[in-house]
Amino acid sequence: MRGWRWIIGAGVVGGIGVVAATIAWPIGTPVLNLTLEGDVQRGSYLARSSGCIACHTNFEGGAVPLAGGAPLKTDFGTFYPPNLTTDVEHGMGDWTVEDFAKAVRQGISPDGDPYYPTFTYPFYANFTDQDIADLWAAFQTVPAVNVPAPAHEVPFPFDQRWGMKLWRAAFLTTPDTAPEADRSDAWNRGKLLVNGAAHCSACHTTRNFAGARIVAERFSGNDALPGGGKAPSIRSRDLVSEGWTIDDMAYALRSGITPSGDVFGGSMAEVVRYGTGFLSDADLNAMATYLLDNKS
Amino acid sequence: MKMKIWIAAIAIGTTGVAAWAHSGATGVVLERMQGMSAMGKTLKTLSPMMRGQVPYDADLVRSEADAMVGHAGEQMTRLFPEDSGGGVSKALPSVWEESEEFAALAEELKTAAEGLKLSAGNGLTAAQSTDSGSMMGGTTDGMMGGGAASTMGGGMMGSDQPMTAEMFATMPADRAFAMVAQTCSVCHQKFRKEDK
Repeated sequence: MRGWRWIIGAGVVGGIGVVAATIAWPIGTPVLNLTLEGDVQRGSYLARSSGCIACHTNFEGGAVPLAGGAPLKTDFGTFYPPNLTTDVEHGMGDWTVEDFAKAVRQGISPDGDPYYPTFTYPFYANFTDQDIADLWAAFQTVPAVNVPAPAHEVPFPFDQRWGMKLWRAAFLTTPDTAPEADRSDAWNRGKLLVNGAAHCSACHTTRNFAGARIVAERFSGNDALPGGGKAPSIRSRDLVSEGWTIDDMAYALRSGITPSGDVFGGSMAEVVRYGTGFLSDADLNAMATYLLDNKS
Repeated sequence: MKMKIWIAAIAIGTTGVAAWAHSGATGVVLERMQGMSAMGKTLKTLSPMMRGQVPYDADLVRSEADAMVGHAGEQMTRLFPEDSGGGVSKALPSVWEESEEFAALAEELKTAAEGLKLSAGNGLTAAQSTDSGSMMGGTTDGMMGGGAASTMGGGMMGSDQPMTAEMFATMPADRAFAMVAQTCSVCHQKFRKEDK
């Protein structure tokens, strides 16, 4: 009779121990002094490419720049992209550039807590120090807004941030942005953008039970976007078989107009209007070049 | 008698084919799908011209813009009566839940299409740099810009200065065209079910 009580007792203590250890488990790598001078224009451009403005500005609700974005409704709860203005209390006003670097490239807050992957930080892991410096310079130009974004509405157990450390251990991948020697400059630039800043596969890839992208199904589309829309396949083989050309794709990313004369709706309309519509012709051409000719 | 039967058969057949082409839609749902397709055809016809890929034809721009006007404004909203969503319709509930905004966008589309017609004689933006970021406002207006095509003080939903068709009259046609597409985009973003 006594035996099983010991087992349960041991289990509970063991469980608490595992949780405590996970909470204490330090993550991330330290960021050394970032002293590079940032360029605001380059930084703004990168912020557009990366979707910072699109996600962290609520265009439906006042459109105050970077003061916090529209809610993202997922299976794990509703997430509110936070205030990224220079406000000291509710924004990044009291951050250092090293804090910023760690947040963007590693997904770790200044307090050492992991961010939820609704923040597409995994795609930004290969940003250079100069990229970070440029972004930081651009973010310094955003007027302070002394209103916090709403807190995430995430039920137990997903509200346990330490759980994200386990998620990271299981699912965090580094993006494939390295140039390939036998490819054109445009293709390589496209690869860098598509797999990095532009984070296309964040929406265009099916996710597993834990909300992590299924790597083997990269670009194959997603029937369950936050808020309920669908993202079609953008795998090269599918784009090509549907008759897309590089020119068509670049034009669509610029204007939202598809080869059939349709206009992107849903989230893709926002991607174009607040993101890709700001990119240079050369970059859109590069992205299209890569999208139509990668191994997917 | 035979003639009437033939006419009836052809009419039924045509509607049947149209319905089949639009997932079995009938009535207003079919009509509005056809209206949308017609406007898509306008974009498809005019895009290559606006991109400088085929010779510019101001008359064609005018006639296509005119066709679009005929599908916009009240000609669009009258096809969305209460309870006509669901089934094969791609209209989201927001069409009726936020009917004022929907109607306003339909009106904006009409204005933009009329504006495109007025701008037709202006031709395209002078072909200068290869960086045609100007089409959708590609300059980086710092971190603030409200939208890639926020030209001329906005004019899209929620901004302070609604555009009138006359404001388009001095615009290059490709700019006006971009604003038409922009309106399509804003409406599709909020009111159309994306399920491809």
